[in-house]
Amino acid sequence: MSTKVTRTWTVNGEKKVVEVLPLRRLLDVLREDFGIKGTKEGCGEGECGACTILLDGQPVCSCLIGAGQILDGSEIMTVEGLEKTEGGRILQEAYMEKGAAQCGICIPGMLISSYALLNSVSDPDEALIRKSHAGNLCRCTGYEKIVEAIQLAAERWPTGISNIKHRTLIRHR
Amino acid sequence: MAVVEKEDFRVVGKSIPRLDAGGKVRGLTEYADDVDIPDCWHGAIVRSPVAHGRLLGLTFDSSFDWNLVAVVTSEDIPGKNIVDMMGQDMPFLAHDEIQYRGEPVALIAARTKALAKKSLAHVKVDVEEHPATLTMQDVVARFEKDPASLHLQWKQDIRKGNVTDALASADMVVEGEYWCGHQEQMYIEPQGMIAIPEKDGSIFILGSMQCPYYINPELCVTLDLPPEKIRVKQTAVGGAFGGKEDFPTLLGGYCALLAMKCGHPVKIIYDRHQDILYSTKRHPAWTRHVTGLNRDGTIAAMKIDFLLDGGAYTTLSPVVLFRGILHAAMGYECENVTINGRVFRTNTFPNGAFRGFGAPQSLWALESHVDVLAERCGMTPHDFRLKNCLRKGGVTPTGQVLKESVGSPAVLETALDKAGFAEKLTRCSAGDPSQDRWYGIGLSFFAHGAGFTGDGEARIKAKVALDLDYFEDGAPGINVRASSTEMGQGTMTILPQTAAEGLSISIDRVRYPYPDTQVVPDSGPTVASRTAMVVGATVYGAGEKMKAQLEKFASEALFDGQTVKLSDGRFESSSAGNSRAFEEVASLYLKQNGPLRVYNQFDLPPTIKWNQETFEGDAYPSYSWGCNIAEVEIDVLTLEIHVTKVTACYDIGRVLNPLLAKGQLEGGLVQCLGYAIMEKIQIQDGIPDANRMQTYVIPTMLDTPEFDLCFVEYPYDHAWPGAKGLGEIPMDGLAPAIANAIKRAAGVRITDIPITPEKLFEALKESGSIRGTEAS
Ligand code: FES
Ligand code: FES
Repeated sequence: MSTKVTRTWTVNGEKKVVEVLPLRRLLDVLREDFGIKGTKEGCGEGECGACTILLDGQPVCSCLIGAGQILDGSEIMTVEGLEKTEGGRILQEAYMEKGAAQCGICIPGMLISSYALLNSVSDPDEALIRKSHAGNLCRCTGYEKIVEAIQLAAERWPTGISNIKHRTLIRHR
Repeated sequence: MAVVEKEDFRVVGKSIPRLDAGGKVRGLTEYADDVDIPDCWHGAIVRSPVAHGRLLGLTFDSSFDWNLVAVVTSEDIPGKNIVDMMGQDMPFLAHDEIQYRGEPVALIAARTKALAKKSLAHVKVDVEEHPATLTMQDVVARFEKDPASLHLQWKQDIRKGNVTDALASADMVVEGEYWCGHQEQMYIEPQGMIAIPEKDGSIFILGSMQCPYYINPELCVTLDLPPEKIRVKQTAVGGAFGGKEDFPTLLGGYCALLAMKCGHPVKIIYDRHQDILYSTKRHPAWTRHVTGLNRDGTIAAMKIDFLLDGGAYTTLSPVVLFRGILHAAMGYECENVTINGRVFRTNTFPNGAFRGFGAPQSLWALESHVDVLAERCGMTPHDFRLKNCLRKGGVTPTGQVLKESVGSPAVLETALDKAGFAEKLTRCSAGDPSQDRWYGIGLSFFAHGAGFTGDGEARIKAKVALDLDYFEDGAPGINVRASSTEMGQGTMTILPQTAAEGLSISIDRVRYPYPDTQVVPDSGPTVASRTAMVVGATVYGAGEKMKAQLEKFASEALFDGQTVKLSDGRFESSSAGNSRAFEEVASLYLKQNGPLRVYNQFDLPPTIKWNQETFEGDAYPSYSWGCNIAEVEIDVLTLEIHVTKVTACYDIGRVLNPLLAKGQLEGGLVQCLGYAIMEKIQIQDGIPDANRMQTYVIPTMLDTPEFDLCFVEYPYDHAWPGAKGLGEIPMDGLAPAIANAIKRAAGVRITDIPITPEKLFEALKESGSIRGTEAS
């Protein structure tokens, strides 16, 4: 039997303390323990990207990470945290203007991937946009309007607004 | 080209951003699994381990504490153990015969998901196994040899002229067989339903669904409750595509049965694996074309067999069959047509609704075959289509004369022109062994019936209401009430647009709340590309009615009885200088009279005549039209297929919202691209072999082509403001366009989708045209 561990993180700018089984999925901690339900589950096995969140600036699938793997002091950002950042608001506006959200279920994860991308490369070309979002499945839009929204957000992206602790890594798949 | 002039609309036809986008980009929109339900238990389903057999009993392992959970078997069903759909052959819970692997035999609810899941391992389902029919290949083999040995679920034919004679006298007879397999809807939000037992014995059902008014009457039968004791409400839906048309009735029913048993709310949220294994899919189909063709390129006769794999129970399959056969020869001039439609049972999960509803299957065959016909009489694919396509005044296979709103040949001509088709056709590789990358271009042309088949719309008479009341901000506004659901396609935006247009006010004060059967009239199910056309027109009419009432009120209350017009958000009389804002008049109305509700209902023009027995007459009130042109490149070494560009032109009548319409087209086209070359399921041991997102692969952002999309508008005047269907038509034509392009790239025709590199390899090997292999 595994025993619970205590973790202290910053989630969307707020300090959160949780006592949790180490293998409990971060997705469940967010949705069930914290009641932060913007992050969605589409597959539970790292394929759809609906559960994408930022962990210390890196986009990761929260369905694949055990809470115990996340160190004290880590910073987590979900779709609900976007509004508190300038870049996040720019992205939300652009997604709305371009009609990028249809059913909307993929959008929380998609937006997080966009945010991570623009924070590390603020003027990505289309190929990079597509590559960095290839892990986010959308069944409604055919992706065109999402790409257009990211391009629009990139145009409006001010310099030097990165909130990301460790600038990294665009996910490649 | 005589395109109907655009009226001077104020709200309709504008690219208004979605009204529901704000919640979606903030992560605030509540989908089924996001709704907080206090004290909610979790349901789990005990399933049959075999595809066909007899249920002998259930053994509940005594090492498990069954007091912790609630169990429902067929004996606990208060009403009829039948799902009230066509055929009336599907039990809610199997009690005797088992017809597919995974068929529910019992239900369990527990305080936690983990406990419910754990309990499943302690139930043994005892069955006697029988031989099963599992695949379309089985069905077709037996259909050719001994059709009587198959279980026929439904049949329907279409007859026009005399096919036998016409085939005998035609210059040549061209045959072809075309296959297509299952397709999974793969909405990103899995199925999820919740049932809450209320103190008065009623049940409140909510969740991810397309058709609230399917669930209510169907569950009345099963739960033995009167309609007013079952309340159904839609939560936000994370994609549906037909997959949440019929299935939520079952899942909602399971939750309701468990909730009635344990006295707690119960929810079942499928995980992805369950969702793929145990929910409906697109029907696999097999089509055989036998065509009488003349050397001058005219089509003398079309004889078509169209077979569907219905899965274990009849459910919606007859209606899917109807739409399938009604599109099987649609779009072309031909005096002599026979279409034989059949649905046969296989022992697999019942197949159900999926965007296009039978039409993508029969059009896949038709539009592949038409290319073969063109080739056989030495014509280009576009000239052959331009010569034979139905135009205004043309007669369809059911004898319907196309009198109005016919976007053919406009869609064809426009798309051909935009793509530069004729010129590019001359550049196709045709399997040239000296090239490293083959290029091909292909075409498809099609119509899609808008709304229900025949006089269906006249029978159900969509009903809607508009409620004028105060919004939370204290100012007056209008809620549009209908049972039509938003599932990503834009209902929540286009219905307020048509209401605002009818009223002649700004859309800012119009909203579309999630349908709740306690509040909304029945505007029919959200299916069949009918929402924009039928419900849109009904809402527009309700807007006009409310406008007239408010004008009358304003005239009496504020304009001394003068004639008053509400226009662009202001009430104005003929005497100059006197004008009042909508908000002011509406507030006064509310203060004096309280909330105002205005109803409206849809009617078809009486000229529509349809014979449901013989399938003769006006099969649909109107048709949308489309033309798709696909360009492909094939890597000659790996045979990977890249669809590089799609040019498409559509006539969907009035385009209510161009931004949303284009988005829906792009999404549908990409879904069809998956259908054409990626998405593959084979039945293994009675269940899909591709049962996770890892193995059932849908297009990602890296797989999509460049798009060039446009509309030509031929509005449908009997459903003003004149929209026709848009939801399904994007799924209709891209698969055959891609197959036709692949033929011209690689030199071989593949007649079985999805067209994978493996299939292409086999076909090239067979034709002897693979580099480095001997011709056989
Ligand atoms: S839910 Fe995590 S990737 Fe799909
Ligand atoms: S908007 Fe529906 S899955 Fe992306």
